[in-house]
This record gives sequence, structure tokens and C-alpha cells, in this order.
Amino acid sequence: MTNYVIAGVLGVFFGFSLNKAGLTKYNKIVGVFRFTDLAVLKFMLTALVVSMIGLYGLRGLGLIVFPAVPATYIVGNIIGGLIFGIGMALTGY
Amino acid sequence: MKFVMDYIRKEEWSPYVAGILLGIVGVLAVLLSNSLLGASGAFENIAGLIGKALAPAAFNNMYFNFIMPPGITWGVILLVGVFFGGMLGAFSSGTFKWRLVSDDQWKKVFGPQVWKRWVLAFLGAIVLEYGAGIAGGCTSGLAISGGMLLAPAAYLFIAGMFASGIVTALIVYRKGY
Repeated sequence: MTNYVIAGVLGVFFGFSLNKAGLTKYNKIVGVFRFTDLAVLKFMLTALVVSMIGLYGLRGLGLIVFPAVPATYIVGNIIGGLIFGIGMALTGY
Repeated sequence: MKFVMDYIRKEEWSPYVAGILLGIVGVLAVLLSNSLLGASGAFENIAGLIGKALAPAAFNNMYFNFIMPPGITWGVILLVGVFFGGMLGAFSSGTFKWRLVSDDQWKKVFGPQVWKRWVLAFLGAIVLEYGAGIAGGCTSGLAISGGMLLAPAAYLFIAGMFASGIVTALIVYRKGY
């Protein structure tokens, strides 16, 4: 139950940050593929760097154990990414 | 304090500030419930739930039994939160409104018809979700959550996503690119 409450609260912050970064707008998402607006990339990579530092720091302190890392299967990951990109550029979500 | 409140009310933050917020959320998800942020998986969980109820035989396969078991998972609750969080963001800046076509730029490229936007959004979303299913996650579930754990899958996915996204945008925009 607590887990569900945490999920809901974190979800609200997740959605809030997406909205504030403008990623809920079509032109922002397409902008990154047209090289006219790199907000998507800036947002994604900032989040990556911050969470990397946090997670590896906390693991170094012995406070967390990493959850199952997403599986790598090279062909599937790339083909999935290629299909995903078409949908993303078309819809802007 | 006033500065902070004013900043929260701004319609658009610097992507770096918003990115820091998401990064912290990503760390908290692992710290508090040992889970990874994700969006596309939740749709598959719900699809599995509906599918098992309507056509149990068709959904009785490897994928829906073991890889993406149906149910109201952590990710589904997260997704509900995302919906309300996005709404809250729009309310906080006073930009919330109901719209049938999302953007002026979209109208310029595809024309003013509302049905076109809805059909394309629906079809595009099918393509998007299918790709995410093959790759094992979407922008949040694989690219960001996997990337922060340094999973090679995440970076392969990002490369694929940008390669085809750029080509698709080139085709859609042609001379206007």
C-alpha cells in the first residue's frame, strides 16, 4: 500500500516536470528531431546525470541495491528504438 | 521564497531545472520502492488485464504471462500520478485548457482537420508502443531509467530512437525541415 502511495506521489512530480519542461507539447518533441529546439535532449540528459550521481552515490554508501537492470539484446533494442522513433516523431508524444 | 513561487508558476522552466527534478524523482523511486520509472509498461499491464478478461485464449502467451504480467502494478499507479502531475503543472501556470488539436505547428504541417490529428495520434501511438514493447521500454522506462543504471540497452535504444525520429521528421517536413 505504501508502495502505491509512493508511486502516485512520484508520478505527480514526474508529470509536473514533464509539463514544465514543455515535453507535453508537439513542437517540443518534434523540435529535437529537427534540431530547432533541443529541450528534450537537455531535459533527458540532465535527469540522467542527476540520477546517475544519486544512485551510484547511494550504492557506494551501501544504502540501496540496484533493481533489475533493463535487459540488453542488441538487435531488439535497436529495432525497438527505430520503430519507437517513427511513432514519436509522428505524434509528438 | 517569492522567487521560488514565481518560478513554479512559470509556464516553461529551463529544461535543466526540470531535468534535475526528474533525476531526483528517479533516485527516490529506487530508494523508496526499489522500482524504476516507466510509462509504456503500464499500458501493457492494463492491456493484459483487459485482454485476459475479454479473450483469455489469445492473451495466454509468454509475453503476457511472464514478461509483462497484467495487473494494477506500481507503474500503473505512477502513470495515474503522471496524468494528474501534468494537469497540476498546467494549472500552476494557468495554461490549462481543453483542446482538440494540440499545436499550431501541427496544423501548419498536416492541415487544420481535427480528425487527422486524432487518427495520426492513435496510429502513431500504436507504432510507438509496439517499438517500446520490442525494445523493453520507452523514453522513461528504458532510456532514462536504464541509462541511469548504465544499461547498454538504453543507449542502443536512444541511438535508434533519434536515428528514425530524425528521418521521420525529414520526411514529414520535407522542404520545411
